[in-house]
Amino acid sequence: MLKLNGLGKRYGSRWILRDLNLEIQAGECVALLGPSGCGKSTALRLIAGLEQADEGGIELEGRCLDATPAEQRRIGMVFQSYALFPHLSVRDNLDLGLKIRGMAPAERRRRIDAVLQTVQLTHQAERRPQQLSGGQRQRVALGRALLRDPSLYLLDEPMSNLDAQLRDELRPELRRLILQGPQPVLYVTHDQQEAMALADRIAVLRHGRIEQIGTPQDLYHHPATRFVAGFIGRPQINWLQQADGSTVGVRPEQLRVDEHGLHCRVIGREWLGASQQLLLDSDAGTLRMLMPADWPASRELTVTWSPEDEHRFDPVSGQRISLP
Amino acid sequence: MKQPRSVWIALLLIWSLLPMLWQLVSSFTSSDALVNAEVPFQQRWTLEHYRDLLSSDPPFWRYLFNSTLVGGLTTALTLLLAVPAAYAVTQLSATSRRTIRTLVAAAALFPYVLLFLALLELARHFGLGNSLLAIAFPYAGLALPLALLLLISAFEGLPKDLDDAARLEGLGLIHRLRWVLLPLIAPATASTAILVFLFAWNEYPIALTWLSRDDLLTLPVAMARIAGSSVYAVPYGAYAAATVLGSLPLLILVLLCQRQIVAGLTNGAVKG
Repeated sequence: MLKLNGLGKRYGSRWILRDLNLEIQAGECVALLGPSGCGKSTALRLIAGLEQADEGGIELEGRCLDATPAEQRRIGMVFQSYALFPHLSVRDNLDLGLKIRGMAPAERRRRIDAVLQTVQLTHQAERRPQQLSGGQRQRVALGRALLRDPSLYLLDEPMSNLDAQLRDELRPELRRLILQGPQPVLYVTHDQQEAMALADRIAVLRHGRIEQIGTPQDLYHHPATRFVAGFIGRPQINWLQQADGSTVGVRPEQLRVDEHGLHCRVIGREWLGASQQLLLDSDAGTLRMLMPADWPASRELTVTWSPEDEHRFDPVSGQRISLP
Repeated sequence: MKQPRSVWIALLLIWSLLPMLWQLVSSFTSSDALVNAEVPFQQRWTLEHYRDLLSSDPPFWRYLFNSTLVGGLTTALTLLLAVPAAYAVTQLSATSRRTIRTLVAAAALFPYVLLFLALLELARHFGLGNSLLAIAFPYAGLALPLALLLLISAFEGLPKDLDDAARLEGLGLIHRLRWVLLPLIAPATASTAILVFLFAWNEYPIALTWLSRDDLLTLPVAMARIAGSSVYAVPYGAYAAATVLGSLPLLILVLLCQRQIVAGLTNGAVKG
């Protein structure tokens, strides 16, 4: 189990991470989600020991890690850039750490062969990283993390350098190799879809502070702040201007056509295959709405939604206002 | 488009190689023929200059050996200090890094000739004169700023993730240098080594003042002695032969390390 107690980091007088409290259970995958510059990569580097925290502490399996140098933390990390050693073959990339840790050559060979088989790179073992495709490099990086035999996995945007199709192919791979293991996994990403697809829980980070921690369902249906409501879910939530000046959020799929409702003009259509997304202009603002693919095109329509699907937030603090 | 380009390249090559060719031809031309154009073609050629150089006392190869020794020592000492120092600098904050870079650049640009009297005093005081080992110390000191600048750039050119990944693999500092960092900056190290070696090979004022025993002279001083050996004549032939012999080791060194030097000089343009 990984436990972060009020972790904080500042550069000069500017805090880029503050008061990070998080527990990750054995076998659990938590995604650290946020826009770029929110401090999520810094959090990862603090846990890895690559940077020193300015406040707070880190516990792994009940032991305090604060005084342990990165070399001895037994952490399997996958970098966004993969960080494979370019002068070494795939086999030597995997071998370096084992060799330094003093493992016998025969044992090293056995383990590397096993991992090469797991990540399906047996035939690429003697190639250099430059000779591999992006997906293959990614798998070498995963293999290296596996061989570390770590007590914690840290994944830093491991898929953001891959194209969409490869990402879809590698997700089950990632789940099979790492997420289903007994170790806690911390997954850093800016892609909310990826976080929702892979993580058991998501921690949304903004300006160095956690906005909300919860399951993907929690975050989607009960966003704690206006920021989380806007960040989670694609197409994005609609913000509707009310007559009393307040704003309510309604998810696009909660809007439905009804005779007695808000009058809208269709200003754009995106056909998505199984459905279509309409862009609507109304007195309450611009709206996105999902309709069946065979819905006949029309220039005007009236929409409505159920009051229980409304999300309301305090205009100043951005905190969720629970309905009475 | 291809034709004019190769013409330009040929012209450039002739422009830069012709002086060397001239030296080479002169070194095989008899002293008589060098100043008299009417000597017939068949009688112009001789090996006398080389014979004289190699049979003089001390023989010319002795100077080659001295310079190689001093150059090798200087290069080894410089790299031994500059590589760890450069890595250490890259671990500092951006502000300190910039300050150190500026100071080192200032040191690299300082005209070292201004130092040679002070260095001479030091040599005298500590009894370091006439020692090929001792002269490597001021050489290394003078070559250090440039070597530092080049190696800092080389280390900065490495993706930080590689160093971090190696740390998480359990590699301590020494292991990281040995297995990851040094192999990756090998091209830059090779080109730095060549430049340092070249400096030591060519250095004149310090060698002139620190070394006076005939059998300890380095090439530039020895060649100056050959050139100034007579008041009444300039020994063009002997000088040309000395130049050719003095250039050969460098030529071989550069040809051997050609690939690394080119890779080192274009460092940063190459992505891993």
